[in-house]
Amino acid sequence: MTDFEPLIIAFACNWCSYAASDVAGTSRSYYPANVRIVRVMCSGMVDPTYILRALAGGADGVLIAGCRPGDCHYISGNTKAEKMVERMKILLHRLGLENERLRLQWISSGEGGLFARTIEEMVDRLKELGPSPLKEGKGKGA
Amino acid sequence: MTLKTGVYICHCGSNIARTVDVKQVTEYNATLDSVEVARDYLYMCSDLGQELIKNDIKELGLDRVVVASCSPRMHELTFRKACAEGGLNPYLYTHANIREHCSWVHRDGDLATEKAKDLIRASVRRVCHQEPLEVKEVPVNPDTLIVGGGIAGITAALKIAASENRVYLVEREPSIGGRMSQLDMTFPTLDCSECILTPKMTDVGNNPYIDLMASSEIEEVSGYVGNFKVKIRKKARFVTEKCTACGDCVKACPVEVPSEFEEGLNKRKAIYIPFAQSIPNKYVISRNETPPCKLACPIGMDIQGYLALVSVGKFQEAYQLLRRTNPLPSVCGRVCYHPCEDSCKRAYIDEPLAINSLKRFIADEVNVEQIEVPQITPNGHSVAVIGSGPAGLSAAHDLALLGYGVTIFEALSEAGGMLRVGIPEYRLPRDVLRKDIGYIQKLGVVIKTGTRIGEQVTLDDLERDYEAVFIATGAHESLRLKIPGEETLEIIPGVDFLRTVNMGRKVEITDRVVVIGGGNTAIDCARVARRLGAAEVHVICLESRDGMPAGSDEIEQAEAEGVIIHCSHTVTRIVSDDGHINGVECLDVRSFEFDEEGGVNIDTIQGSEHIVPAGTVILAIGQRPEIPGQFDLSLGRGNTIQVTPDTLSTSRDRVFAGGDVVTGPAKVIEAIAAGKRAARSIDSYLKGEILDIEERPAPERLSDQEIAELQELHPAQKRVEMPQLAPAQRIGDFTEVERGYTIDQAQEEAARCLACGGCCDCLECEKVCEPEAIDHNMKDELIEVEVGSIIVATGYDDFDPGVISEYGYGKYDNVITALEFERLSCAAGPTSGEILLKDGRKPESVAIIHCVGSRDQNYHEYCSRVCCMYALKDAYLIREHTGAEVYQMYIDMRCFGEGYEEFYKRLCEKGIHFIRGKVSSVTDHALAEEEKGKLIVTCEDTLIGSMLRVPVDMVILCIALEPRSDAEQVARLFNISRRPDGFFQERHLKLDPVATPTSGIFVIGCCGGPRDISDTVAQALGGAGEALAMIGKGSVTLEAAVAAVSADTCIGCGRCTEVCEFHSPEVVKDEKGMPVCQVNEVICQGCGACAVACPTGAMSIRHFTDEQILSTVDALVEV
Repeated sequence: MTDFEPLIIAFACNWCSYAASDVAGTSRSYYPANVRIVRVMCSGMVDPTYILRALAGGADGVLIAGCRPGDCHYISGNTKAEKMVERMKILLHRLGLENERLRLQWISSGEGGLFARTIEEMVDRLKELGPSPLKEGKGKGA
Repeated sequence: MTLKTGVYICHCGSNIARTVDVKQVTEYNATLDSVEVARDYLYMCSDLGQELIKNDIKELGLDRVVVASCSPRMHELTFRKACAEGGLNPYLYTHANIREHCSWVHRDGDLATEKAKDLIRASVRRVCHQEPLEVKEVPVNPDTLIVGGGIAGITAALKIAASENRVYLVEREPSIGGRMSQLDMTFPTLDCSECILTPKMTDVGNNPYIDLMASSEIEEVSGYVGNFKVKIRKKARFVTEKCTACGDCVKACPVEVPSEFEEGLNKRKAIYIPFAQSIPNKYVISRNETPPCKLACPIGMDIQGYLALVSVGKFQEAYQLLRRTNPLPSVCGRVCYHPCEDSCKRAYIDEPLAINSLKRFIADEVNVEQIEVPQITPNGHSVAVIGSGPAGLSAAHDLALLGYGVTIFEALSEAGGMLRVGIPEYRLPRDVLRKDIGYIQKLGVVIKTGTRIGEQVTLDDLERDYEAVFIATGAHESLRLKIPGEETLEIIPGVDFLRTVNMGRKVEITDRVVVIGGGNTAIDCARVARRLGAAEVHVICLESRDGMPAGSDEIEQAEAEGVIIHCSHTVTRIVSDDGHINGVECLDVRSFEFDEEGGVNIDTIQGSEHIVPAGTVILAIGQRPEIPGQFDLSLGRGNTIQVTPDTLSTSRDRVFAGGDVVTGPAKVIEAIAAGKRAARSIDSYLKGEILDIEERPAPERLSDQEIAELQELHPAQKRVEMPQLAPAQRIGDFTEVERGYTIDQAQEEAARCLACGGCCDCLECEKVCEPEAIDHNMKDELIEVEVGSIIVATGYDDFDPGVISEYGYGKYDNVITALEFERLSCAAGPTSGEILLKDGRKPESVAIIHCVGSRDQNYHEYCSRVCCMYALKDAYLIREHTGAEVYQMYIDMRCFGEGYEEFYKRLCEKGIHFIRGKVSSVTDHALAEEEKGKLIVTCEDTLIGSMLRVPVDMVILCIALEPRSDAEQVARLFNISRRPDGFFQERHLKLDPVATPTSGIFVIGCCGGPRDISDTVAQALGGAGEALAMIGKGSVTLEAAVAAVSADTCIGCGRCTEVCEFHSPEVVKDEKGMPVCQVNEVICQGCGACAVACPTGAMSIRHFTDEQILSTVDALVEV
């Protein structure tokens, strides 16, 4: 299991977290290459099916990254995302998935370091958890 | 149909190619489904790179394009444009971010290459699902809003106005000018700041295209780029446009508060302009929340106003102000229990203002008999008042002023009620009462004494002869104790005792007297008994000392006069022998409580029986009203008249009641309040109007922080004691005990007022304003403007150096901030430009401490950028003006602008001491002779590696520039973001420094981070350029990626309307009459909340459809 490399799909809000991931780049905040970022206009745009599809398709973890509370470009998209993630965690639990495979993180647009740190933490934790049980032999690191 | 996709991979010089194997990625991509061509190029964003794409679209017939390069936030628009120029709809293009998300964040080339392949593969998949979209152009409103009138806002406003387009310049303060107007000289040229700023300010004031709104704030922003709607609150300035800025009002205003513009170094009046060259050059009245004393006063007196007028010696004016709310000022000044003093903010510092004593001083200082009464036009209506106590007199006074013919019926032979017969003369001399009543009679009020209603005249008679009746007969019947001996023995009821003495009749008392009761009546009885010659007077009361209802002053004075008070005692019987009273038997009380019926349950201590010997027993445990049965009114507990609390109307039509007869025994001021309320109620009743009910919130207790701030701002100063007769002198006769303040004492005491309300409503300014420009009733105004773009220039706050306690700011007088120094050295400042210590001496040595709150992990990590340079300038000015030695304690000297380094060099030659090191403390703790009386700055000189102690006279702190305390709210208002340091974030640090992620909103100047004047002005011109570019084009393109409804699957449930923050979707009826949703595309922001909420999948976001996103996800998780 030591050479297991988890795959993370990150849905990043255009205004804050995607900008933060750019800042991570411009400030050369290195992080593991296990993440693939999908740009969405708002964390509140992330439909539960996107998460399920990513996990069912072979991702080991999903990150939803949005603006800090009160900073949403669309007023309340991030709080909608927060509620959705709460509900999804219950569903994932019923499917036998660990809680930490889905993570919601508020990252404001300047916080490149926080973006990099979040990925590092997630990768470390997913390595401990091992491949997603939904994967059935699929996926990058399996 | 098979799609033809072109994939273009950028090397970005070596930025991508150094880590990602571009050739390998290109080869891989060429193999993907739908890919017609895959190319790589050194700089895809260059003209040649873009040409590649355009040519391929034309020559190969590409119908989809993917570029893999830097972040789409950088060049997505560039390539969309290239596609459009090549003839392809720009929305058939997708961008893969392989620089910021790949080559720049991963070290391992193989992993980065694999990731780049994945990202491009996903983009190729996605682009196949994309659809052509049409962008909408909307016209741009040519007007611009600029928020903040500092040098940034001023510069931008003038530049835009020069194009003859309208600018709304909104400034929160009463004048534009901002921080720059407070500065003395500017570095490195040593230009006078005001000299270069004020001509620009005048230009703003005169420019016909600039709509200047000072004292105004933005309330709400809605709309979108090119078409914003903004609500602006124009705060009431209380001075109209008629103001000619003559300044007469300033001389008349008695209120002084610390001047914000002068950093609190001197004072300004409540009516003011911040500084001489203010624009708009119109005065403004500063008004804070209602002062707590006024809130606590039952009749809401303008207390701060009359105190201010006393402090400046305007006693007549003060009296007129008293009279505005109080019909019995001389009486009140003596007997009021002054709840105002309990709430006075000064009490948090030392002692509350002696408000009551000052009120009395004012009333005594004027000759009431010579005061002219106002002209009254009779309104032809008549009102009868029963009872001439404080409630009756007050109602009569206010009604008479309104034009009513008022007749008061008084049962006793003299007017005044309890004021006349209940309060002893040593507290309220007869002539004082007579003066206040005399004034009321001069208003036309007729007082018929010796007329008890119910005997000669009945209530029915009054109802017939008058249009309304106000019953204010008080509570004059003493309550009984119900103990053995009370019925048979000669116990004297307290109020009867006082009444008899007050009416000048004789009462027989013995040498030893017991008074039962703990209220003011009991204390009054005891003190009167002492004055009648009783050698030993005991007051016995149920309450503990702190719980006694009597005023603490009264109790203290009684004790000084020899009255013995027994608290927590109950009397169980009167001890007598053959009909003669020998004393009372008492028990100690552990606790007691009143039950719901007004009875009392007492927990006594068994075995504590003892006898207090006395020949006379006076019972003063309370009173109740006596209501004649023929009044036929609904009565409540304790025989009081039942009324509707707000209107004081009784169960009989046209009959009102108030004062003790309604409440039971209460305070004089409460009776006055009831009388005044009755007057308003009767007036509105007779006019057939609805009574406007006054609601005053109770004063709030201050927070610990507010208390600390008060204590820091105001030094303690004891209240001036009221002169009193010596106790030995008092008991000889009924001479008034409190002698009243002298003029000097009164002015000294009145000057202690903190003026917490700002304007005190004395209206003195109105009297002297010739153009009649002052309007104390002005209200805030809400106006709405429509603009195409918004420039935010809200500036910065100064760091509070008080939080670094080691530096002694707030503790030592001569530790000042750099901004305070600016005011000190400014010729127009409080010292006329003399650099002086607090005691008026010239400093011989000055330390300037750099980086206070900046470059400090505990406060702000960033560099504040202006401090090094102004520190040099300050040093120059100090050397020039005082010749003092100057020490600069710096971390690094940062002199990067034009002429800055040269200025630094010049200063080095001026003999300034530069010490490189962070100051650890400033103290006055002298260790050596030469340190005595100095401030000692302790600092490590890191260049020579030793600790220094530098004794100086003055310390200047170069405080950090920090984000405004309300930056968070402002960011939300304009939908812009903040950096981790709290300043507003620009779209791109280098290439887009004034735009924000929200189109049409720009940030300039120090709200985006610390900048000097030159940089701020450059930014302001940049912001003006952005706005002018939009205006010049006349239209903007709206995002095409907005919501769209599929009419086939929409069931019109309305979930989308519930989640949308912008009210874009609405449920309408389709042609068949079925509910269906419709999206207003102009309003839609494209956030996608509706699409997530839609239960049928009918709602989607164009360019971010489920299909498009899921195809990306699928491609990314593929093996």
